[in-house]
Amino acid sequence: MSGVLDFSEASGSSILSVSQKRSEDVILYQQYQVEQITLPDYAQCLAVEAFLRMSGLNFRVEQRTNAADMSPTGKVPFIQVGSQLIAEFEPIVKFASSKGYCLSKDLPDQSVAEMWAYVSMLDNILSNAEHYVAWMVPDVVAEVTKPRYGCAYPWPLNWILPWMKQREVHHLMTIKEWASKSLEEVIGEVRICLRALSEKLDKKTFFLGPKPTELDAVVFGHIYILLTSKLPGSPFNSLVSEFDNLKEFCKRIESTYFF
Amino acid sequence: MGAVHAKAPPSGTIRDSQPTGIKTTSTPVSKKEENDVKLNIDKLPVRVQRIVVDGLTRTKDDIVIKEIKPLLNAKTFDELVHLSYNAKVKMERLGLFKNVVIAIDVSKDHRENGYEVLFEVQEFRRVDGGIHTSITNNDGSLDFQVKMPNILGRGERFSLDYTVGTKRTHGYGAYFKKPLNNNPDIFFGTTAYQFYGEYPWSGYKQTDRGLAFDLTFPTILGSHNIQWEGVWRDLRALTRDTSFSVREQAGHSLKSSLKHTFTIDTRDNLVLPTAGMLWRTSQEYAGLGGNVEFAKQDGMFQWNTSLPLDAIFQMSLAGGLMRTLDPNASVSISDRFFLGGPLTLRGFNLKGCGPHSHDNALGAESYWLAAAHLYSPLPFRPGKGRFGELFKTHFFINAGNLCNLDFNNLGASFQDFATNMRWSYGCGVVLCMGRIARLELNYVVPMRVQKGDKANPGLQFGIGIQFL
Repeated sequence: MSGVLDFSEASGSSILSVSQKRSEDVILYQQYQVEQITLPDYAQCLAVEAFLRMSGLNFRVEQRTNAADMSPTGKVPFIQVGSQLIAEFEPIVKFASSKGYCLSKDLPDQSVAEMWAYVSMLDNILSNAEHYVAWMVPDVVAEVTKPRYGCAYPWPLNWILPWMKQREVHHLMTIKEWASKSLEEVIGEVRICLRALSEKLDKKTFFLGPKPTELDAVVFGHIYILLTSKLPGSPFNSLVSEFDNLKEFCKRIESTYFF
Repeated sequence: MGAVHAKAPPSGTIRDSQPTGIKTTSTPVSKKEENDVKLNIDKLPVRVQRIVVDGLTRTKDDIVIKEIKPLLNAKTFDELVHLSYNAKVKMERLGLFKNVVIAIDVSKDHRENGYEVLFEVQEFRRVDGGIHTSITNNDGSLDFQVKMPNILGRGERFSLDYTVGTKRTHGYGAYFKKPLNNNPDIFFGTTAYQFYGEYPWSGYKQTDRGLAFDLTFPTILGSHNIQWEGVWRDLRALTRDTSFSVREQAGHSLKSSLKHTFTIDTRDNLVLPTAGMLWRTSQEYAGLGGNVEFAKQDGMFQWNTSLPLDAIFQMSLAGGLMRTLDPNASVSISDRFFLGGPLTLRGFNLKGCGPHSHDNALGAESYWLAAAHLYSPLPFRPGKGRFGELFKTHFFINAGNLCNLDFNNLGASFQDFATNMRWSYGCGVVLCMGRIARLELNYVVPMRVQKGDKANPGLQFGIGIQFL
């Protein structure tokens, strides 16, 4: 007992709070990965998972069909820590750093601000593109997105609910002025984004320095689904292959943190 | 109520007819009593030659003809009056007419024993409506209703409702009802509705969108109702503090269920009966489609009797049991039983008995409730005969239990179910607001409380229609 006390006296109370944290289970809630989750949600869940693994926080994944309805903001993923619920990437990262799990603590403040600006811009473009392809390209909607979204519900909810969600996404896309774009334009935007990322990554292992940061987690989340999703028309798979370093980055993160 | 007028032959005395609500007029008795002829009007032979129904616009002929056809077979005057009255009552009960006035006269061509019957009917307005208040379960609501009585001409009734409640509930619905086989006791109904309600005792809010078809018919013992209902329920956590056990049930569910209800109601007043009993049992099976599966039994029994000194003794019992049919699933909080509150187990918060999680009532899959009441007029009878009659003093004792039965270990858990109860007693004042609702203000002493319950000792106020 005294050994622990000495240790904590030496390095401050953060060690004590970390061991407290570990005894409280961190549970990540998302929809069923294989049958149910849709493209944009999957990217978000992967980004959060990558972040949690990179920061060393112990957690487990709970798959629920109603994960989005359970979430305090209506979006996945969300984590449960004791009696607290935190949803979406940025709030989860802020919560983790308040508990001492921060990936970008070694970076100067200026770089951190820049990183978050980058994350937000990226997330915007890539997330919009994912929503567009999943909910507004007719083949994808009919063959992939709607069946997946409605698979957990009985008739007639299995067509009413995806239809309602599609209208919601369409409305969102109209507000963001993406509804009027064509698929080629959307792919063009994604290509520009990937090119910028590829240039920023260059030949480094991670985007900002020797250790992974939140930016790496977000980029991994999006690139992984762009690479691996099997959609009719395969709009994205060949796109990522144009940028070798991004493809390598993705494989590297997967093998380091996910196995 | 309409009146039956019978024109009598010009001379002779007439006796009053027997059926209630019937007036007979008589001509003045002539002074010369020796010439009086005594006539027994009841047994006068009649032959109905014509029946005229005046005032039909949208009511269909066939349904009216069916009701008045028996009159043609009347043999005596007595029978004719009875049959006319029955036809009038039946047609009013079917919802065809607002008002029926019957006139019986001798036939115009003065044939022997010939009579004519004239039905003057007043149909309902095509579209009617109103605003009224209704009280349910400690909650009052305002109802805006547009109704179309006798819409298709055979007693069908269509209505549209919009309800706004005090506890942020609101909803609207459409209801259509049609009597079958010319029998007002057998009817087919269908309703479509959307309802939003908040359930703060359990920490969730729910939107229900549903469609139901039901059939009601009487048998010798009582009235049966068979209903199919399909409801799409959207459950959300109410606040950030909602407990996780409730939050994890958020989302969409579809219940498609078949329910049979059997009712015998011989009470003389729905709000504070002085005599009679109520027996209602229902069985519900959910699982024909949808993703909610359970079998549910629910029953209620109430018995009232008057005692000397204007006192009333009432005894009630209620209980229910439900079971999920899928061993891997559990029953949703939207379907479970709840107990507690001024309408059920007094002395506890609304739905305050049973398992709780962080202040949210979770409900359970079985319950029982028993109560005994004694009502008597206010001491010293203030306002006797008038306003004071609406108030009664009220002594009661009630007990109940709400818990989940473990079907793998039925014996032991049933033992617990019967003995681990809560009970309370108290007294107070009851105010009956006509036949609409009842108010109770009681001082309650909870005597036995189980762990996790929310007891509410002291003064408790309740307003509603159905009290146990």
